[in-house]
Formats: sequence, structure tokens, C-alpha cells
Amino acid sequence: MTKRSASGLSRRGILAAPLVLGMPSVIGRAFAQTEPLRFGVADPLTGPSAIFGLDQMQAVRWAVEDINSAGGVHGRKLEAIIVDHQAKPDVGIAVVTRLLQVDKVPTFITAFSNVVKAVAPIANREKALMLSVGANSPDIKNLGDYVYTTFPLADVDMRALGSWLYKSQNKRRAAVLYVNHETGTEGAKVFSAAFKEAGGEVVLNESYEEQRSDFTGLVLKVRAANPDIVHIHSVISDFTAIVAQMRQLGLNTQVTSFQTAFNPKMIQELGKASEGIIVTAMAPSAEDNANVPKYLERWQAAYKREPIGLPYTQYFHDAPYILAALFKHVLDQKQAVTGENLRKALLAIKTFDLPLTNRITFNDDHTVNAPTYFWQVKDGKFQVVGKL
Amino acid sequence: MDLTLDLAAQLTWTGLASSSSYCLFALAFALVLKVNRIWNFAQAGLMVVAYFAMFIAFRWLGLSPLPGAILGAITTILAAMALEYWGFRILRQRNSSVLTFFIFTIAMSQFLIYMAELIFGTDPKTLFPSIIAPVRFVGPVVVSDWDLIALSLTVTLVGALWLFLRKTREGKALIAVSDEPDLAEMYGMNKDRAYLVSMALAAILMSAGMYLIGTKAAIFPSTPLSQFMIFAVIATIIGGIGNIFAAGIAGIFLALLQSYSILVIASKWQILLLYILIFVVIILFPQGVKLKLGKRGPARKAGQLPPADDVAEKAS
Repeated sequence: MTKRSASGLSRRGILAAPLVLGMPSVIGRAFAQTEPLRFGVADPLTGPSAIFGLDQMQAVRWAVEDINSAGGVHGRKLEAIIVDHQAKPDVGIAVVTRLLQVDKVPTFITAFSNVVKAVAPIANREKALMLSVGANSPDIKNLGDYVYTTFPLADVDMRALGSWLYKSQNKRRAAVLYVNHETGTEGAKVFSAAFKEAGGEVVLNESYEEQRSDFTGLVLKVRAANPDIVHIHSVISDFTAIVAQMRQLGLNTQVTSFQTAFNPKMIQELGKASEGIIVTAMAPSAEDNANVPKYLERWQAAYKREPIGLPYTQYFHDAPYILAALFKHVLDQKQAVTGENLRKALLAIKTFDLPLTNRITFNDDHTVNAPTYFWQVKDGKFQVVGKL
Repeated sequence: MDLTLDLAAQLTWTGLASSSSYCLFALAFALVLKVNRIWNFAQAGLMVVAYFAMFIAFRWLGLSPLPGAILGAITTILAAMALEYWGFRILRQRNSSVLTFFIFTIAMSQFLIYMAELIFGTDPKTLFPSIIAPVRFVGPVVVSDWDLIALSLTVTLVGALWLFLRKTREGKALIAVSDEPDLAEMYGMNKDRAYLVSMALAAILMSAGMYLIGTKAAIFPSTPLSQFMIFAVIATIIGGIGNIFAAGIAGIFLALLQSYSILVIASKWQILLLYILIFVVIILFPQGVKLKLGKRGPARKAGQLPPADDVAEKAS
């Protein structure tokens, strides 16, 4: 017969109690050492901007697959929880709140300037590390302690473009057309300032509403202004429509844009009318990065095409590598995987060597620098024509 | 921007060419409003059906323009008639209120837009891989093949509609039903048939309009509802509710107004101009701006009922 204590518990039971009570923490620790390292990704998967978001997500998935097949981080796999923000600030707030409060991720990556600005206060409040991976509004560097950008902002490439057009391309009169939202207004502002600073004149500065299809009046206004360069800071389809309607109205002026226009579909739709268009890109070309050709081959093998917005996808591809390095640093320090510790890790490491975007170093103002590449459509393909 | 003669000529020409699709959308909307007596906001959904039926025909099946456009029009006609038969007719039989019709048509549009987004994705699409048409100078004015196609197609369709309403028995029946459906039925006209015919005609007009749009620019599934319907509604109100051809003319006027407005306002305010106009028209001209085209427009003349004795004789 088992002897019982005064409280009615057996001696064996009392001896076993610490083991039983301690089991959850032991199991928990063991589980914590194998459970995946999760991070959030918020990007447009539906809506007009999904054309970019879907390819960016494929780049993230491939990066996570590659990191995991190489052993993950100390044997733990990375796991990306992907949510759709439709490139809308209100939707962004909802899905990022879900990521942080329901999925409890300590860090997340996102893009699109209007969304980045909207969700930054949440990241700061929840002390979650937020990496902006494809937004370029210059304001992003002022969004708080927990917001960093891995993507060079518009004041890098637009500044470079304005100066390069004046000095290297001998352009003197610019017409600037931009879509009336965060990306367009900020980018156009920086470009205009840089072009004027270089000595050029902005002869027309006009905005238009997103998703418009008829730009006849706007194009006639450009024609009347008689510029020698037209810079269009737009989103997706409107760039193609404006250039098409320019050419249809006999306006063959040189056109420039930024990475949004880095889109093979644009070349297909414009045909010969796309020849000569110059766009900026902040990600290295195949000449400067040996992995880029293999990456493009991967797209060809999987989808028989190039990615939409190649430079953006390069940054998205490399974001999980930055996070993997941060997770590793935190685990090496035997710290809890929290947003605060990941931020400290980022400040400690600062410089990252990445597969598709080469070496990036975070500046004290939360930004990164990168050379600006100028690509021009020649014979139906984008080709690098300059670097600054 | 200073208005020169060259610029005025170009603005007028391109404004007219661009107005072609808006004219067709306004005619389709006004026709259904007049005959079926429905503010058919489901037209945006039918425009989506037309667009993506043609998209399948051109991009997936590789059909050439004419058979592809015909396939798109047939699909839209069937969808429009189905909407009348299984939607509007049932609501009419239940004596549903105007509000019920309104909610139904808006919901139908949203449903068709979401279906298109699910099937075709949410990225902008053109009907053909290239949207560049050859251009030529006529004096100082640039004239593109697209301009010529747009204007000739619109003139042909408007003329055909006018002749249909004026010269054919079926067309006259439409006008009669639009004036007084129960009386027209007493005279032996089938009002349910008239409603179906009017939807079919509207489907042809909107298919043609969507063809023109899709050969010039990429559109999203949501574009017809967010952009084109406002033109059709305002044109119908300006044209005097119930006057089909005046709505078409108002559609052209709106497009030209937008085209010329670039001389005095920034491009971003052009859409706002339409909303201001709709407020002004509703407040100052609630019955529309009366155009002196006969007593109440050419359609009225076309729709004059034959003498009662004649109809009764034929009916017997």
C-alpha cells in the first residue's frame, strides 16, 4: 500500500511532481529549438499592384526555400507568413496588426510607400522590426526606431537621374508627369529638384489620378511645353498608356521613369514605341552580380519569362537573407527572438553580403545606399547604359 | 497653355475620337433606362463581360479582330438578356421598388467584376499585345488608325440604332413600350420581348465601346464601374432622362469638355470636373438640358405610335 502524506498525496506523487510540473518548460524549450523562425511579409497579392506583388512573393519563397535547404538558421527553418495588403494603407494596417498580434511575428517586411507609412506606427508601438523592401518615398527614413529600409529611397535614384540627364545626356527642358499618390508626388519632387539643381528647367509639372486610361489632354499639354525629356513617375499601366498616347500624337520625346517601368510587359505592349525609354534601377545588373543570370534562368525555367520589376524582386529575394542573419545573431547571443533584439542585431551587424543585391550597409538614418543603374530599351530589351 | 489653332484642331479631333466609346456607353445606358425603365448600373458588369469575352477571343483563342469582336458581342448579348430574363423580369413581377433595382444592379456589377478578378487576375490588360496604331499627319493634326476606326464604328452603330428605332417594327415597338408598356401590350406588342431586345442592343453598343477602349489602353476589371459609368450616367442626365440620342450627344460633349479643360485646369482635376457638372445639372436642370431635336429628340419621332385603328386592324 502506498503511504500517503497528510494532504492525501503519495510520496511518489510528491517526488514526481517537480518532473511533471517541469515537463512543459522542458518540452517547450525543446520545441522552441525546432520550431520555425517566422516572419511576416505584407505585399499586394490582389488589386492593380498585384502584378508586382505576386512576383515579389515568388522571390521571397525561393529565398526561404534556399535558406532552409541549406540548413536554415541553426537547424531551424525560416517560415514566411504572407499576407495581402492590396497596396492600400487601410488594408495594410489590418493585415500587419494581424501579423503582429495574432501570428506574433517579431519582424516583417513590406513595400509600397503609402502602406509603409501607414503601418510604421504599428511596428514602433509593437516593437517589431519592420523592413521596407520596395518603397522609395524619401519620408521613409523618418518613420521611427523600428522602421528600416533595405531599398534605396527616391532621393538616391531620382537625384542621380536628374543630374545624369543634364550632364551626360544634355537634356535641358524636362516635363514631369506623376501619379497623384505617395510614390508619384515624392519621386517627382526629388527628380524636379535634382534636374533644376543640375541646371535644367522643368517646363511642365503635372499630376493625374491613378487608373486613368485617357491621357490625350495631358499629352497635348506636354507637346505644347516642348520639352526634350519627359519624366513619368507613375504606377504600372498608366506609364504604358501615357507613352502610347504620346507616340500616337506624334510626340517622340525621350521618356524616363523609375523601377516601376522596368517591366517586360510594357515593352510588349508598346512594341517599337518603347525603344529608347530609360528607367533607373537600384539593384545590380548581371555585369555586377554573378547570381543574377542564374536567377533569371530560374524565372525562365519556372515561368518562361523575366520577373515583373526585376530590381524589386532582387530586393525581396534578399530580405529573408537579412532576416536569417539577424535570427542567427540573436540565437548566437542566446537572446529571445523579439523585435527589440532583432533590431539590436541589425544595428550590430549593419553590413550584409547578399546574393542578388551585393553588399548593403544600413546608415544611421535607417537607409541604405546603392549605385543607380540606368537601363534603356534597345532592340526590345532592357540594357544597362549607365551607372552612377 | 496657350490655345493655338493647331492645338484647338488637335484637341477637337482627339476629343471626338476619344468620345466615341463614351457616346456608345451613354447610348446603351439611356436606351435601357428609356425602354426597360431601369437605371442599369449592372452595365458596368456587362462591360466587363464584353471586355473579357473579347480578351479570351483575341489573347487565348487567337481570333482576328472581327470574329473576336463578334464573339464578344454575342457573349454580352446573352449575358444582358439573361440579366433581363432572370433578374429584371423577376423583380418587375414582384413590383420591386426602384431602390431594389438599384441595389440589384450595383450588386450584379460588383459580382461580375469580382468574378473577372478571380478568373483573369487584377492586373491591367489590353485586348491585343500591342496598343500602338499607325499615325499620320493631316495638316497639323495627328490622325491615328485608332481614331478613324473609333469614329467610323461609332457613326455606323449610332446610325444603325437610329434606323432600327425609326424604320423597323421591332424598333417602333421598343419606343411604344418605353412610352406606355401596358398600353403597348394592349395594342399587341410584347413588352417582355421589347425589354430583351433593348438589352441586346445595349450589349452591342457597350461591346463596341469596350473594344475601342481595350485597343487603346489597358484596363482593370474595376475600370468600367469606377470610370466609364460616371460618363454614361451624367450624359443620360444632361441629355434629358429618356432621350436616347441626346444622351449620346451629351457623352461627346463631356469628352470634349474634358479634353478642352486641360487648357485651364491641371490634369488631376479633370475627373472632378465631371462630378461638379453632375451637381450643377441635377440642381439646375433636373429634367436635363433640352436639345432642340424635334419635340423631344429624334427617338421620340421614331417612336410615334401608329394610329390606333391601324394597330388594331393588324392585331386582329
